Amino acid sequence: MDTMSKQETIKNLEKACLAIRKDILDLATREVMHVGGDLSIADVVTVLWQYRMKYDPKNPQWEGRDRFVLSKGHAAAVVAFNQAAIGCFSRQEVLETYAKDGSRFSMHACNLINPYVEISAGSLGHGFPIACGMAAGLRLKGNKTSRVYVIMGDGEQSEGSIWEGVLNAVFHKLGNLVAIIDNNGLGGDAELTKSTTLGNIADKYRTFGWRVEEFDGNDVLQIVEHLDNLPAADSDVPILLVCDTVKGKGVSFMENVPKWHCGAITNEQYDELVETLDHEFKQKWGH
Amino acid sequence: MNDKLFLRTAVGETMVNLAADNPKIVAVSADVMGSCRMTEFVKKYPTRSFNVGIAEQEMVSFSAGLAKEGFLAYAFTFGPFMSMRACEQIRDDVAYNRLNVRFISTYSGVSGGVSGTTHWTMEDCSIMRGVPEMTILEPCDCFQMEKMLQATVHYNGPIYLRISIEPVKEIYSRDYEFQFGKAYRLADGKDGAFLCSGITVKYALEAAKRLSDETGASIKVFDMQSIKPMDVNAVIEAGKTSRVIVAQDHNVIGGLGDAVAFVLAKHGIKTDFEVKGTPDEFFVMGHAPWLYHKFGMDAEGLYDAMKSMLEK
Repeated sequence: MDTMSKQETIKNLEKACLAIRKDILDLATREVMHVGGDLSIADVVTVLWQYRMKYDPKNPQWEGRDRFVLSKGHAAAVVAFNQAAIGCFSRQEVLETYAKDGSRFSMHACNLINPYVEISAGSLGHGFPIACGMAAGLRLKGNKTSRVYVIMGDGEQSEGSIWEGVLNAVFHKLGNLVAIIDNNGLGGDAELTKSTTLGNIADKYRTFGWRVEEFDGNDVLQIVEHLDNLPAADSDVPILLVCDTVKGKGVSFMENVPKWHCGAITNEQYDELVETLDHEFKQKWGH
Repeated sequence: MNDKLFLRTAVGETMVNLAADNPKIVAVSADVMGSCRMTEFVKKYPTRSFNVGIAEQEMVSFSAGLAKEGFLAYAFTFGPFMSMRACEQIRDDVAYNRLNVRFISTYSGVSGGVSGTTHWTMEDCSIMRGVPEMTILEPCDCFQMEKMLQATVHYNGPIYLRISIEPVKEIYSRDYEFQFGKAYRLADGKDGAFLCSGITVKYALEAAKRLSDETGASIKVFDMQSIKPMDVNAVIEAGKTSRVIVAQDHNVIGGLGDAVAFVLAKHGIKTDFEVKGTPDEFFVMGHAPWLYHKFGMDAEGLYDAMKSMLEK
């Protein structure tokens, strides 16, 4: 990619991230939702769904697609808005039916009536080990080009089942597995430093034999560069991207505040926040 | 020649044959392929065998992932670890996601014998009955084991198989065909009925014969091989004898007995009723036959229970 087109790509993706943040906030005026963790991982999810992943919304079972597993299943809304953005369904449907009786948009990723969700998840420590099995399945089928992207929370790393998967991904040489940690530092109750304290999560995975990259998970340019430069999908070492993020990113009163794990906002707050976000975008990109 | 018959042997042999015909079949185990008699399978199909280490949760989630990618995954470990350590994975990762994983769960009931409580499975039927869309099967002889496994290849949905490691007897002849949701009437009668599954089937047949020989009573024996879905008509037929004894190597709470009682109550069938199984308490270890005798679910215990019911 030349410099100009790359800059254009980044600008378009940041614009897409802005739109997704507005969608999340719009939804937060209608429903109590996991707004903090949706906002922290919004940039990564947007770059994956609107730029990096091979995916055909007209054929969600296409064998050549990249697989996406949301292990931190409570960030279902940010994924749904991205799926809407690529044409899986309308964003209006998400806004109007999220958490409504019988809707396909649950607080946690659910595939019972939503074919774009690969794996239903919500209980933490589940999606990641399933993704390990999917990666092994792709290998066994001889699919050498598809990857399995799986997004976990940092708080989720306290689940023992994660570490069973960490061992197995290395043993089974699952280089087609790209694990992503939304490293926002906050759990449901408080800062993780006040509970199990992850310490240096990257070093822990490295010790187990993973290839680990660490970067700012709210910086679209960095996300793009890391996702563009992954080793080939048929390589042998599983990849972890530790994305340092800010819970509640983009909303000053939510940023790094534990109580915004779950919450709702008023219409007035929404109007002010949208104005601020638009302003910030214009400051950076001009228009 | 060791003429004892074991379900596990039938599992190992059948899996090798099934895998030969179906390249989608894969086996996943938590370091007990040997105990589950899958060594030959692993040797023949190394790329389709996954040992995830002593990590039952991973075993089930990994199996779900393989199933998601179109494979038919058979997961192998002992019942307590399968049904309890990996319970949430079975429910969320496999059942909720509607993936085709078969849980080959050995050490059913107290067949783990002198290994003691940690290796007994007195709760799995109770737990799995509560998992939506789960099918539960319990074989009592090797030919049935083979037929059941064959049937699992073409069935859509998760299946839990509870498998005793005690020696079994040959019960079925070659014309036996397995059907989901069907009980098999092994003996007919009008004075009472034994409803059994797994290891207790052989004991019930023995008890029914002795009752006939010694008292002249004729007793039905049903093999309730498909615990869920259950053969409602078989239960109703049994209930009409007015004397029903259910026996399963499982806690008397939550297992086959409760499932049968539910059907009897729902259909308003008035009958004497008793459940034989492991009592609702922890018990010192011992060899399985000794335990079955203690708990009154061996041939003698079932004979005595039915005789008392007949004499009431």
